[in-house]
Amino acid sequence: MIRQFGWNEFELLLFAARWTIVLALIAFVGGGIGGLIVALLRTADNRTARAAMVVFIRVFQGTPLLMQLFLAYFGMAIFGFSVNPLIAAMIALTAHASAYLGEIWRGCIQAVPRGQTEAATTLGLHYFARMRYVVLPQAARIAVPPTVGFLVQLLKETSLASIIGFVELTRQGQIITSVTFRPFLVYGLVAALYFAMCWPLSLGARRMERGLARGTQR
Amino acid sequence: MNTFKKLGAILLGFCVMLGAGTLPAKADALQDITSRGTIKVGMLVDFPPYGLMNPQNQPDGYDADVAKLLAQDLNLKLQLVPVTGPNRIPYLLSGQVDVLVASLGITPERARSVDFSEPYAAISIGVYGTDDEKVARPEDLAGKTIAVARASTQDTAVTKVAPPTATIRRFDSDAAALQALMSGQVPLIGCSNVCYVTIQKLAPGKYNKKFELSSQVQGIAVKPGEQKLLARVNQFIDKIKADGELDKINQKWLGEPMPSILKKK
Repeated sequence: MIRQFGWNEFELLLFAARWTIVLALIAFVGGGIGGLIVALLRTADNRTARAAMVVFIRVFQGTPLLMQLFLAYFGMAIFGFSVNPLIAAMIALTAHASAYLGEIWRGCIQAVPRGQTEAATTLGLHYFARMRYVVLPQAARIAVPPTVGFLVQLLKETSLASIIGFVELTRQGQIITSVTFRPFLVYGLVAALYFAMCWPLSLGARRMERGLARGTQR
Repeated sequence: MNTFKKLGAILLGFCVMLGAGTLPAKADALQDITSRGTIKVGMLVDFPPYGLMNPQNQPDGYDADVAKLLAQDLNLKLQLVPVTGPNRIPYLLSGQVDVLVASLGITPERARSVDFSEPYAAISIGVYGTDDEKVARPEDLAGKTIAVARASTQDTAVTKVAPPTATIRRFDSDAAALQALMSGQVPLIGCSNVCYVTIQKLAPGKYNKKFELSSQVQGIAVKPGEQKLLARVNQFIDKIKADGELDKINQKWLGEPMPSILKKK
């Protein structure tokens, strides 16, 4: 029953890495939009909005992503909504990433000195203009390193989606190991492929950080 | 590893809860499947030779062949859904698959959450280890470390008989448990006779059988309460036992005739 590890198996790993990329992109985009909304509401003047976001963040930071995926897929099916695994993953990953990014960005927004907001208000800028042209650009500069740190972690966490049936990189590695019995080779390659996906992210982050810093150098 | 174990336990607990919560089946599953025209069968893909991914990356193996015959017999299209050991029962109970042909060993614990058909496959599971380990009874496991595949039948069996001082290391699959044994991280493993065949191939003569845990038969599982579907599945199993098809599958994947334990009464 043992199969040799060959080019065919390597290709299967590469194909599975596509799922990892798709899942990571969903999480990045969904989490980016959701996170911005969470961060803005979390720093808003409205007390109810702030409280609601605190609950949201506590719930999604306080429960494992594995359970969130599990509940989004199997839980909803129990109540009669047969969800496609991709939709379930989209919901769970977006909610998870939104909670973390929201809290990271909340800190970054609050790190912008209060005087900036006050000065913008005196200039007659409304909330959206104030955020768009004054606060967020300054917050973005501080936000790059923690954001990228989280995204790299999130990319690797997409392997948890195998619980709802995605055959992504890690799961494919397990399946191939079960027929080839070459775990060192297979998992070594899996690790290398993850590295190949994460490293460009870190590199891009460094460039972005430098670019953003240049604009505000004194 | 510890948190992962806990998570596994929580998930399993959740499955049992789901099982209890969904006991009164609402519709007739057999009718639903027939009107849909496709039967969704959950099977393992990391449990060779029962379930595996072939070089074309398609599900294959003993279970896949049984599933193909089942779909043929029901005159339906077959959709094979790859599941894993820990998530296969949730897949069934939440209706993501219609039946499991997933090497699911028939145990009283599982029979509480799913309904089993007549057995369609059999495996004996036991404890195996390096020649110099002196283990002949479950009590001898005291103070020793043993590897098993998480949420598998051997996991339950070892957990039940092992003394409290034994350390049970649970891995995601038989292959991972086997790797732990091969690399010398653990001296003992709880696994099936099929898995032992692989061990013998990889390291001839280095490991031997310590004692047998149980002889396990596997059934096709359906949601609890689906009597009509279950009766239809049983009819199918009787048929393939009688006309020699199941014997052919045994020959093809295990190189042995159908085990006598599967023969009727």
